[in-house]
Amino acid sequence: MVFLGGQVLPGNVGRAILGPFADQRAVDALNHSLGVDRPLLVQYGSWIWNFLHGDMGTSYVFRAPVAPFVVDALGNSMKLALIAFVLVVPIGILGGVVAALNLNRPLDRIISLGGLSVTVLPEFVTGIILILIFGVWLRWLPIAAAWPKGAGFFTQIYYLILPSLPLFLVLFGYIARMARSGMIEALDSDYTRTAVLKGLPWRTVIWRHVLRNALLPTITVIATQTGYLIGGLVVIETLFRYQGIGSLIFTAARGKDFPMLEAGILTIGIVYAVATLVADFLYSVLNPRIRLGAEQ
Amino acid sequence: MSKNYRILDLIRRSRTPLENHLIDGLIDGRVSRREFVRHGSLLGLSLPLLGRIGMAAGFGAAPSLARAAGAAGATIRVGSSVPAAAIDPVTIADAGGLLVMQQVAEFLCVDGTDLVLKPALAESWSPNTDGTVWTFKLRKGVKFHSGGEMKADDVAASIDRLADPANSSNALSVFTGILQKGNTKKVDDYTVEFHLDAPNGNFPYMVSSDNYNAVIIPASYKGDYEKSFDGTGPFKIEKYTPKVGASFVRNDDYWGDKALPDRTEFTFFTDIQPQILALQGGQIDIINQMPVLAGVAVLNDPNVDIISLKSSAHQQLHMHCDEGPTKDARVRRAIALCLDREKLAAGLMKGRAALGNDSPFAAVYPSTDTSVPQRKQDIAQAKQLMEAAGLAQGFKMTLTTERYLEIPEYAQLIQNWVKEIGIELELNILDQGAYYGDAVFGKSNWLDSAMGITDYGHRGVPNVYLAAPLKSDGTWNAAHFKNKDYDQLAASYIGALDLEAQKADAGKIQKLLLEETPVIFGYFYDYLTATAKGVAGVQPTAMSQLFLEKASKA
Repeated sequence: MVFLGGQVLPGNVGRAILGPFADQRAVDALNHSLGVDRPLLVQYGSWIWNFLHGDMGTSYVFRAPVAPFVVDALGNSMKLALIAFVLVVPIGILGGVVAALNLNRPLDRIISLGGLSVTVLPEFVTGIILILIFGVWLRWLPIAAAWPKGAGFFTQIYYLILPSLPLFLVLFGYIARMARSGMIEALDSDYTRTAVLKGLPWRTVIWRHVLRNALLPTITVIATQTGYLIGGLVVIETLFRYQGIGSLIFTAARGKDFPMLEAGILTIGIVYAVATLVADFLYSVLNPRIRLGAEQ
Repeated sequence: MSKNYRILDLIRRSRTPLENHLIDGLIDGRVSRREFVRHGSLLGLSLPLLGRIGMAAGFGAAPSLARAAGAAGATIRVGSSVPAAAIDPVTIADAGGLLVMQQVAEFLCVDGTDLVLKPALAESWSPNTDGTVWTFKLRKGVKFHSGGEMKADDVAASIDRLADPANSSNALSVFTGILQKGNTKKVDDYTVEFHLDAPNGNFPYMVSSDNYNAVIIPASYKGDYEKSFDGTGPFKIEKYTPKVGASFVRNDDYWGDKALPDRTEFTFFTDIQPQILALQGGQIDIINQMPVLAGVAVLNDPNVDIISLKSSAHQQLHMHCDEGPTKDARVRRAIALCLDREKLAAGLMKGRAALGNDSPFAAVYPSTDTSVPQRKQDIAQAKQLMEAAGLAQGFKMTLTTERYLEIPEYAQLIQNWVKEIGIELELNILDQGAYYGDAVFGKSNWLDSAMGITDYGHRGVPNVYLAAPLKSDGTWNAAHFKNKDYDQLAASYIGALDLEAQKADAGKIQKLLLEETPVIFGYFYDYLTATAKGVAGVQPTAMSQLFLEKASKA
């Protein structure tokens, strides 16, 4: 699909590399040397054959193997996603829980409204505001996410804090809202009333009965956000000059660099599938009803 | 100051008739000092000699080109656009890539900040009497980073490689009709001759930094430039990471003055805004190329210096001359008369642009005939022209263009202006790839649209602009403009060797194009480089090159 989709776009690889003002003979020569003037089926066949043999191919544009580009970009994307996750998941859930426990009181309003307001702000807006505050005025955090060569674990985290903040703002409201509504529903349910009536301490009721049920939809939401966090951060990656897989795919599509594009999209597909699988697994841990036949 | 004819006569004895004609022009006042220096450098006269002639002709000492030397040892950090493809002197076509390549590799001559050609790997050059053969004398003792000495074989191979249609050469469009493969000939180890297809008075620009592919690399080069980054420049490659950045270190074997900085670091950005933030945040020292609209925030920032170079970069508004309402030259003139060019330069371009007069002859070119009157906004005259063309009630048409720099805003301004004479323009603003398409007639919105705006980068001489977009058989002739008189004038200008002949042809071309107006040239915008306060000695060119060997930090 990606392969065919790319073919219907105007322009060709040689033209994309040499630019509109290059001589047509030079473009033809380049297309020939890259092998993109062969019939589509032949190109597709050779790509699939190589891919199945573990060779992701050679980038048309960079004339170097695709695999290191994709692996590096995926690693970068996962680091950023992980830090954003570590920040937003506990704080988002906590926000939701606190809001639900203070239903309709000022604290609930602040969390719900505040969360919603920052969620609807696009990340390029919050990103620029955060850069101006922390990078340009206060100079506390580095503006570009690319850390110096050979940086250690903590230095890398330090460089990734600023880019992960806009992601935090985008996701916080979303996760807090899901956690809040899950909590409200669970607090309202019969099993919670039973637990309270049988005299369990409040803390135990929340931890063992309410939270466990309230978090199920939240986990689904978090899992579906993985695709966004890994592959959908073109804007953040551009703003913070971070070489993630989102911008890798974006530039590959613009440059008609099909081997790079195909490898990138397949990689994101795999990541997405794995994230959904992990979510299903967590679901079953939290909810005994769907541990298929485990009790029998 | 009085003229010293004794010295002038001494100098003139050893000069060619062409050079003496230029010297006479300076003495008689037909040629200005600035034009003299620029055209003299084109003919291969050295800058010290040009200075001596200027002194003897009573113009006082030439302004010193030497700058106060800053402190050595700095690490200069540059923000630039991401090289769009593999770095290869033959195929490279983008600003980010040519900037990286130019850090290590050098040209025969350099088209500097003042558009005056300066010797680099060639020490001098001169044409034969009709301008069909140009002879370049090479500098001796220049070493490649890989160790060998640069000689005529390397020069011949480097230029031949670019003129070969089988090589995917991006410079083929520059050399087509000018220099063919095999016509760059070695005379001896330090002399090269270029045998041209036709007389060409501006040829040295085609092998200068103005033709960014024309770096001199070893004759043995077989491709895969990123493996070696071999060249003769003042810096050597330290590390290059595609899409991320590059760093360079001083070349201690350099033939000229050794570079001041110990290292330079280039960081690649996909967008301009993050570069501006990084400059303000102190993480880079230089933004190599800053578009004026995006850079508004730092144009008046007290912590930032702006280096502003007059350039010939512009946006061409073409109109089909062979079909539709714009087939009538009166309609094309009427549209051109709607533009308020002063407003474009002062408002849209924040004063960082010069007015265009609907021909490629920008004010920066010495050959431009400045006596040709500047076209100004005149709605009344535009309405008369529309009436004369039988279109007083106006018409509808589509303006197709690309989303790039200030072009969408420019298109909107034009849309508003032409409303006054009843023309309703529908804007069709496309992604750059979609606009250019396959870049051949029949498969490109650029070349097939009845009206469109296209970006043209800077050139040190107008030859390219005069040929491909305007000649009857031009490959970029989006206006479908076919005019035999024009073709002859353009050929005559390109072949003219002396400045006055060029000026005479230029004047005729300017008047013809004002009459025909196949393309509207609204303004020529400046090339801006931003540096942090305290950074000195940075020398950009309007071709996106950046010379850092004299750079220092306070």
